[in-house]
Amino acid sequence: MALTLYHGEPNGPSLTVLATLFEKGAEAELRRIDLAAGARHDLPFAHDTEVAMNIEGEGPVLVADGVPMTDAFFVALYLEEAFPANPLRPAGAFGHWRLLTWCRWINERMSPAAAYLGTRAYLAPKFAAAAPDVSKIASADLAGRWKAVAANDFTEDKIADSHAKIAQAVSKIEDALDGRQWLLGDFSIADIDTYAWLASMELLSPAAFQDAPRTRAWLARVKARPSVQRALALATSGEPAQSWAPGPEINRWG
Amino acid sequence: MKPTLYHWEPNANSGKPMLTMVEKGVDFDSHYLDLLNFDQHKPEYLAINPQGTIPAMTHGDKVLTESSAMMEYIDEAFDGPALMPADPVERWRARWWMKFIDQWLAPSFSMIGWSVFIGPSVRQRDSKELDAAIERIPLPERRVAWRKAISGNFGAEEMAESQRRVAEGIRILEETLASRPWLAGETYSLADINAFNTTYALPLSQPALSNDEKTPHIMEWLRTIYERPAARKTWAMGRTDMVKRVKLLERGAN
Repeated sequence: MALTLYHGEPNGPSLTVLATLFEKGAEAELRRIDLAAGARHDLPFAHDTEVAMNIEGEGPVLVADGVPMTDAFFVALYLEEAFPANPLRPAGAFGHWRLLTWCRWINERMSPAAAYLGTRAYLAPKFAAAAPDVSKIASADLAGRWKAVAANDFTEDKIADSHAKIAQAVSKIEDALDGRQWLLGDFSIADIDTYAWLASMELLSPAAFQDAPRTRAWLARVKARPSVQRALALATSGEPAQSWAPGPEINRWG
Repeated sequence: MKPTLYHWEPNANSGKPMLTMVEKGVDFDSHYLDLLNFDQHKPEYLAINPQGTIPAMTHGDKVLTESSAMMEYIDEAFDGPALMPADPVERWRARWWMKFIDQWLAPSFSMIGWSVFIGPSVRQRDSKELDAAIERIPLPERRVAWRKAISGNFGAEEMAESQRRVAEGIRILEETLASRPWLAGETYSLADINAFNTTYALPLSQPALSNDEKTPHIMEWLRTIYERPAARKTWAMGRTDMVKRVKLLERGAN
């Protein structure tokens, strides 16, 4: 099958898919787009429901035989199932459940927090001179997140909550790494996806990492993987971990 | 090894693994918990699922939580008809839709549901008792959500956003089901089971937006699912008037 991956800078969801692709050794045409400039909304399939309404926010799109797929974790699972060699998840129904629940927590709780802190630190200042054009964004709630970043509208409540979520994630990771090298036992998509969202938080939420020696060592181990190195080498900016586009929303129920 | 399912009504998260079990023909022990009586936060249940969330399932020495991941586990761990498509692209699409329902559409439905239907009756109870019940909830984010639910204090903006999403979600579902028979593609899957649990009462809860004239494809899809013997059997396990709303899907009911 023919694969084309439209990806942004190797951070967050784009890093998840790039590193998974390289771990699997699957062939795909790589096309870089500027997610932080809204380039995803200019793609020919931008109005397909699963692209327009993707609740992950600005992430990569993998096109497989003409079908555009979004949501980095589910795209990584697609790669896992379409290319079974070099397995990247624990075996069996229970192993699969462990990966699903781990990444669900990360993507529902931690990723919105990381995107909130990341866009506040690195994207909002870029919009100070010129506001982005949000007219092509089909999802009203995603457009709202763009506008909030452009207006530098970040509330103290949500900033505090985001730091708390990063700390919770680090604590979960510390527990998971008790006696283990990787989060679920063998190296898996959980390591890639968690690293992809968490890597730059060491700088933005340093308190969370102070008493987390296992997490810090694990971050270094993930970063040293050839797949992650190859993905990071695709960066066009000096520091890809400082490249953020509007991400998933913070859970409306709290 | 007979599994035990701890569940509330065949509705929302509880109904997802219930219908999945019945579709697979799995022989399971059903353990009913009254969500509105906070059975899920009582010590005897916390001994099984320390997170105090419903549903949960035990299978041998394993304890499973998170209803959508649990559905995938049930589909994989037990014999019976496959409820995930075989094609990796359709599997991706089934997961995309489950997340869209779980994290975008269902929270809006539940906000309206709590505000209009459930909150007012729960608020009639003794407020000290309610406070104590909330304090027993183990997960901090669930405490926040329950406080919001019980207080019904959502704010006009939040309610308007939920109503907008419900209307938009109905439009997107209708458009999708007009283009293919099932949410993931050509086969009935966990995505349909998931979405049915959130939308089965649509013709009653959103009569102006969802009816035979405006959303014929949604109506046909709902009725087709309710005609399945497994859906009949699952909804017959319901005890409250809330889930009896499903009878509206009888052909010729209106």
